[in-house]
Amino acid sequence: MTLLLKQLFAFFKLLNSDTGSNQLAAGLAAGVILGFSPILSLQALFILFCCFFFRIQLGAAFLAAFFFKFIAFLVDPLSDQLGRMVLENEGLRPLFTNLYHMPIVPMSRFNNSIVMGSGLVGFILVIPLFFVFKSLIAKYRATVVTRYKQTKIWKAWSGTTLYKWYTTYDRLYGSN
Amino acid sequence: MNKPETRDVTPKPKRKGPVRTEAVIPFLVVCCLIAAYTIFFFDGHLRRALEWVGYQAIGAEVDIANLETSFRKGTIRIQGIQVTNAQKPTENAFVIGDIRFGVLWDGLLRAKIVVEEMAIEQIEISSPRKTPGKVKPPEKEENTDGPSKLEQEATRLKGEFDDKYQDNVLGDISALLSGTSGQDQLKNIEGTLKSKEMLSSFEKEIKGKQDEWNQRLKTLPNNEEVQQLSKRLSAVKTKDFKTPQEVEASLKQIDSILKEADQKVKTVQAAGNDLEKDLKNLDGQMKSIDAQIKKDIADLEARFKIPKLNASEISKSIFMRYLGPYIAKFNQYKNMAVKYMPPGLKNKNGSDAAKDQIQPHPRADGVTYEFGKPRGYPMFWIKDIKVSSKAGASDFTGDLKGQITHVTSNQALIGQPTTATFAGSFPGLKVSDVFAKAVMDNRKPESVITLESKVGSYAVAGRELVNSPDVTLGFAQATGSVGMKAELKALKEFTFSMDNKFNQVAYDITAKSNELKQVLVEIFNGIPAVTLDVNGRGQLPANLALNVNSNLGPEIGKGFEKQLQKKIAEAKAKVEAYVQEQIGAQRAQIEAQYKQIKSQVEAEVKKVQAQLDTEKAKGDAQVKTAEKNAKAGASKKIEDEAKKLLKGIKF
Repeated sequence: MTLLLKQLFAFFKLLNSDTGSNQLAAGLAAGVILGFSPILSLQALFILFCCFFFRIQLGAAFLAAFFFKFIAFLVDPLSDQLGRMVLENEGLRPLFTNLYHMPIVPMSRFNNSIVMGSGLVGFILVIPLFFVFKSLIAKYRATVVTRYKQTKIWKAWSGTTLYKWYTTYDRLYGSN
Repeated sequence: MNKPETRDVTPKPKRKGPVRTEAVIPFLVVCCLIAAYTIFFFDGHLRRALEWVGYQAIGAEVDIANLETSFRKGTIRIQGIQVTNAQKPTENAFVIGDIRFGVLWDGLLRAKIVVEEMAIEQIEISSPRKTPGKVKPPEKEENTDGPSKLEQEATRLKGEFDDKYQDNVLGDISALLSGTSGQDQLKNIEGTLKSKEMLSSFEKEIKGKQDEWNQRLKTLPNNEEVQQLSKRLSAVKTKDFKTPQEVEASLKQIDSILKEADQKVKTVQAAGNDLEKDLKNLDGQMKSIDAQIKKDIADLEARFKIPKLNASEISKSIFMRYLGPYIAKFNQYKNMAVKYMPPGLKNKNGSDAAKDQIQPHPRADGVTYEFGKPRGYPMFWIKDIKVSSKAGASDFTGDLKGQITHVTSNQALIGQPTTATFAGSFPGLKVSDVFAKAVMDNRKPESVITLESKVGSYAVAGRELVNSPDVTLGFAQATGSVGMKAELKALKEFTFSMDNKFNQVAYDITAKSNELKQVLVEIFNGIPAVTLDVNGRGQLPANLALNVNSNLGPEIGKGFEKQLQKKIAEAKAKVEAYVQEQIGAQRAQIEAQYKQIKSQVEAEVKKVQAQLDTEKAKGDAQVKTAEKNAKAGASKKIEDEAKKLLKGIKF
């Protein structure tokens, strides 16, 4: 829980800073796949592994996964239909038969209609959403963060010794 | 003056690469923790989980002495599985000494569980437990304080069973032979005959109907009215018409009289129809009274325990106690199966209530497809299970060999049904030539499960068949053999048959009356071998209709025939005489009353109907005559006119 909270705080700190927009956008995009996949599936474990070993913002990934889990739940009937359509496609039958009998691949549970349908939606959306998230982060920083930093409250707070000590500490020991 | 240069002394943060190197140690720690859990705790937790699942599913304590898993080899070994007998918690239903199997890594990598060979060894049946096992209390179906529906049904069935079969035939025979049967007390019964009550209410109804019809008959056209019509009809002019207006007036008159007559005919017809309905109704009531009288006689015969010397009834009565535990066990497993049966199958013949219950969201399942190909793996497949057991130190172990093949999630993919065959014997329990073969074929849309089994020989000792206050009867010793066949189609249609034979039977007979004991000993000495055939058929989950036959039935019937036939006939005659005495006179009186009303009203209605019909026919004839005469008068007039005209014309 502490780790999770730490990651969430790190996400908000990074979001309000000037750096790490790629990390954030990648985290959010990874969260899309996590949200649309069952937790105990190969693809979800692979994404978690990537988030853990590459500098992808984990807080962003968890937050997005939490949000997109709800979206996925709402569109389950549609995902089910899409999944059935794909899995029952005669042209793709040999491909699926080969995949089904290959090692490792069946662990993705691609042969389930909902996993297939929601997985497809997630993977189709991930690249466009990466760029959408990136541009949204830039816009957020340009409008909301800048405007907030112009407020008297922020100026007064950033002028305090306490804040200066905090920024110095964060620069030396803080990590993203 | 130059300002002194200020240097930023704070160290520059180190630029971080794309790989999170600091995550390696936590990852390794997590991996080590998982490995430690698997090595030190996983086996224990899995063992306890299996015990809990077994207890929940079977409803009795399941103990596992030891469980070992090897992740590297993909093997599981379970030792000392004891399953408590829910009916007798001091005993185990069965014990399995050792189960070993290994899953193929080749299958696991493809997310399939494939077991090449499984071994099940050291099987014991009905062995005693060191401590009594825990038995799950029956579940309440609803949150009420009263008994559950299942308990209510069990109580109802028990009552029905007790009333119908339990220990009654020989007890009743004994009572009849000793002359203590209750039919002598017939006179003490007062006002308990339902037919008598029915007759009283029918008598009232008949009286009411009689009054009603008397009133109704008064409203029907009487003799005077019919005569009046006749007179009016006769007075109408039907000849010597001078003008067409006269003809028209006559026809109008006849028409109005006929219409009036028609109206009266309709009234009489309606009365006739109503009478028919009433008579039908009364007739039906008379029939139901007769049926009730028969039922009353049968009830009284049952109440005063007049035995039926019917072979099938005797067989059922004697063997229901013997079959009871087996039926209870069958029902227990059936209820267990119903609990886990898919809701669609359960509701096929049931209420729609379950359809309204919350159904799982599609996310929970979706549709999982299997893309099979020849020589491919299904999701779950145990290719071969070898079962073996050697008779050993315990009496409850036996020499048993068995094989279960192709336990799988997709029979169609591997093209094989699941089969199980067992053969062996349990010398300690004196059970030999045990053979069982079960086939579960799910390859077609309608699954077929068949079971064939036989036990060549087993020892029977001290098995009670009848236990009534007057008589007890049982097998002191016998050697039994049994063969059984069962089939379940589409998890619904169930049929089974069982042929049981008991040889070298030594009976244990006691009776209050020496006379009866003598007769019984005589009868049973002539029956050294007893057969018991049971057939059942039904649609699950409903109860089965059982048919029980045994050679004991006809033999006992034959044995008692001489002594009892006369007494039974006498007792039956007494009961019938009592019923006739109670209701015979009343019934005859009511029947006479009913016949009288029927004939009186029917005659009256018929008479009026006939009179009216005659008058109507008369009227129709008059109309025809008037028309004929009118036509004749008119043509003569035209002829006269023509002659007059011809005379005036001179050529």
